Amino acid sequence: MFAKLKKKIAEESAVAQRPGGATRIPRSVSKESVASMGADSGDDFASDGSSSREDLSSQLLRRNEQIRKLEARLSDYAEQVRNLQKIKEKLEIALEKHQDSSMRKFQEQNETFQASRAKMAEGLTLALARKDQEWSEKVDQLEKEKRFLTAQLQEMKNQSLNLFQKRDEMDELEGFQQQELSKVKHMLLKKEESLGKMEQELEARTRELSHTQEELMISNQMSSDLSQKLEELQRHYSTLEEQRDHVTASKTGAENKITALEQKEQELQAFIRQLSIDLQKVTAEAQEKENFITHLQEKVTSLEKRLEQNLSGEEHVQELLKEKIVAEQNLEDTRQKLSATRNIQATTIGILETRVKELEQTLQASEEKLKQSSEIVASQEAQIQALSSANEESRCAQQQALTVQQQCTEHIHALEAQIAALERAQAANKTATEHEMRELEQENAALKESRNECERSLQHHQLELKTLKGGHSHRELVSDGFDSLLEGWAQQPRSSLPKAANLTAVIDNKEQSLQEKTEVILQKEQEILQLKEGHDSALLQMHQLQSELEALRSLRAEEPGAPAAPEDLQRLPGREQDVTLKAMKAPVFQLSAAEGTPNGEVGTMDLGQLQKEKQDLEQQLIEKNKIIKQMQQRMLELKKTLQKELKIRPDNEPFEVREKPGPEMPNLAPSVTNNADLTDAREINFEYLKHVVLKFMSCRESEAFHLIKAVSVLLNFSQEEENMLKETLEYKMSWFGSKPAPKGSIRPSISNPRIPWS
Amino acid sequence: GSARTGRRFIMGGFFSSIFSSLFGTREMRILILGLDGAGKTTILYRLQVGEVVTTIPTIGFNVETVTYKNLKFQVWDLGGQTSIRPYWRCYYSNTDAVIYVVDSCDRDRIGISKSELVAMLEEEELRKAILVVFANKQDMEQAMTPSEMANSLGLPALKDRKWQIFKTSATKGTGLDEAMEWLVETLKSRQ
Repeated sequence: MFAKLKKKIAEESAVAQRPGGATRIPRSVSKESVASMGADSGDDFASDGSSSREDLSSQLLRRNEQIRKLEARLSDYAEQVRNLQKIKEKLEIALEKHQDSSMRKFQEQNETFQASRAKMAEGLTLALARKDQEWSEKVDQLEKEKRFLTAQLQEMKNQSLNLFQKRDEMDELEGFQQQELSKVKHMLLKKEESLGKMEQELEARTRELSHTQEELMISNQMSSDLSQKLEELQRHYSTLEEQRDHVTASKTGAENKITALEQKEQELQAFIRQLSIDLQKVTAEAQEKENFITHLQEKVTSLEKRLEQNLSGEEHVQELLKEKIVAEQNLEDTRQKLSATRNIQATTIGILETRVKELEQTLQASEEKLKQSSEIVASQEAQIQALSSANEESRCAQQQALTVQQQCTEHIHALEAQIAALERAQAANKTATEHEMRELEQENAALKESRNECERSLQHHQLELKTLKGGHSHRELVSDGFDSLLEGWAQQPRSSLPKAANLTAVIDNKEQSLQEKTEVILQKEQEILQLKEGHDSALLQMHQLQSELEALRSLRAEEPGAPAAPEDLQRLPGREQDVTLKAMKAPVFQLSAAEGTPNGEVGTMDLGQLQKEKQDLEQQLIEKNKIIKQMQQRMLELKKTLQKELKIRPDNEPFEVREKPGPEMPNLAPSVTNNADLTDAREINFEYLKHVVLKFMSCRESEAFHLIKAVSVLLNFSQEEENMLKETLEYKMSWFGSKPAPKGSIRPSISNPRIPWS
Repeated sequence: GSARTGRRFIMGGFFSSIFSSLFGTREMRILILGLDGAGKTTILYRLQVGEVVTTIPTIGFNVETVTYKNLKFQVWDLGGQTSIRPYWRCYYSNTDAVIYVVDSCDRDRIGISKSELVAMLEEEELRKAILVVFANKQDMEQAMTPSEMANSLGLPALKDRKWQIFKTSATKGTGLDEAMEWLVETLKSRQ
């Protein structure tokens, strides 16, 4: 309602302001501005009071203008006031209307309020009465509760008293408890101590347990081995039992056989008895028959007598004779039969007796066999018992034997490896020494060859010397020839005196030249002698050098004989030349003149050459001597080293290797050592071992890791030990990880076979 | 036990691979081999400290770490005497390169040197190793030429092997740089 009113007022004011038009200044602001203007003017006026008239006039003019402005403003304000009054009237009207309506409404509301208040009063009185009742009830209840509570309070007081008492008791109890607790703590400590002890014991026990478990494992292994052996023995035992059964079966069989044989024997004896009875019967029959026969014979004799007595009854006699013949035939037949039966009986008896004997023999044999078999059975049973009793012993013994065998095999392996290594080393040594020997011998051969060459050249020089000698003798012969020719010519007539004078002059000249030549030849001879001396000295040296070479010595011995032949050969052409000289005179001079000088030159040149060559040879000889001495020194050194090595390894073939070098392996390739076997030569490389171990302990771990193999090889570690070393070093090198558990390799490993790495 | 160590080993390998990839430089392993008196120890210390040291015959071995062109080498100089030559093969595993030193003046034993070289190269563990031959003592007058030595050592006949021969003088220090340069380049290209 009021909101509507406000709205209305606002609308109305807005409508009222709009007619105001240009002066849309809020009222409050305008009022203030007016007030401020008034104040300003007041101030101006006060300040300008003491100024001049012009100033006053101007001030007046300004004031007038201001007044005008103010009047204009006043008119505006008056208009505004009017407008506002209009609005006020309107508003009053509206207010009255509103007041009327509101009064009405108020009256209505008052009525409704009165009515509602009456209603409410009634309701409230009713409610109050109800509440009164309720409260009285509640009070009653509360009083009851109060009583109850007082009772409870009493109880509580009693209880609190009890509680105090109880608390005292509790305190006491707590004291007791603390005492008990301390006791318990004490006991607990004791118990803990004992627990620690027990744990230690437990650990010890666990250790023992593990140890015993290991032992158990070992013993299990042993027991398994033993059970295997036991099975074998049981098998053996069963086989033996089978054999025994077999033997007993055979024994029973043999016994059965024997009983059967005995039965047979009895039967046979019965048969024999029957047969003997039969025989007796037969013999009795035979007796009877013989009796009968004698009777018949008597009859026959009686009849014959009767026949003699009474010849009359010839017919009867004949009949009787016939009868007699028949009887005799019958007799003979029966005899034959008898003998036959006798024979048969005898043979059958013999056969039977032989059979009986055989049977008895077989019986005896079977009995013997039986005895033997029974003995065998007994012995086998004894054996079985012995075996079963010796079973355990055999187990122990087998174990021991196995261990011993293992040890032995290990030892054998080690020894074999050592032997192989030693043999290899020996072979290597042998080859090396052989190689050295071969080299030395080659050098020796080279030296010998050079020596031979020297000798050959010496021989050659000797030959040359001989030829020179031959030439010299030839010259002497030529000069002799000239002398003889001169003598011949002196005996010739003087007709050829001028010629002769010329010739004598020529001859003188020639003689001079000859003398010169002879002098030269003498010199040469001297030189030759010197050469010979040198040669002799050289020969002496050669002898010294070649004292060991016998073949060369023989050659040397042959040398004096050899040069003789060429000398003769050279003299022969010399004589021929003499003959030709005698035939032709003039050309001879020319020839001799022509021959003399070049020959002499050649001789001197040859001599010089020879001397040079000889010097060369001597130098060579000296050099060779030096080389030989060096080689001998080397030989001595090699011998020493060889002897040293042989002392280190005293083997079967000490110096034979040097004596007979194997020609089948010339220029053996130099032996490679870096891939040689490392299992031997331990004592030689102790220095190396020392160095490696020292470095292994002192160097960085990354370097030491590369040394594990060398150390393992030098100290002959097993693969397991080497691996353990590697793992330990890896653990040391790495930043993480745990220390590798020491394995069984720490224990002295006799049982585990050493695996030689290859 | 074995399973645990195995795991640890794998773990260690894993970490080592990580570290090697982190730091990048695995130490190259090089063996210096050759007959006794070839100049192995002199070369080793020339490479390490750049100086000529007086050496005695190596009874065991020398091992030094040599850094060349930011590459670290673990160089093993093994004694070359006949009695300890068989132990060379204890060091062959995980070798990246072999420096085989030969005395250029020792004509008598070049045959032995060749047979030792051939026997060494036949080892399976050195199948991937690079071979550098140092024709050492080239400062001497009677030294053989590298080509002559290569033929004497039978190098042209080698198959499936990276090799090179260099004429060196450990005392004068010549040729070592070229050889190491080649070795470094070859090792880098091989990786």
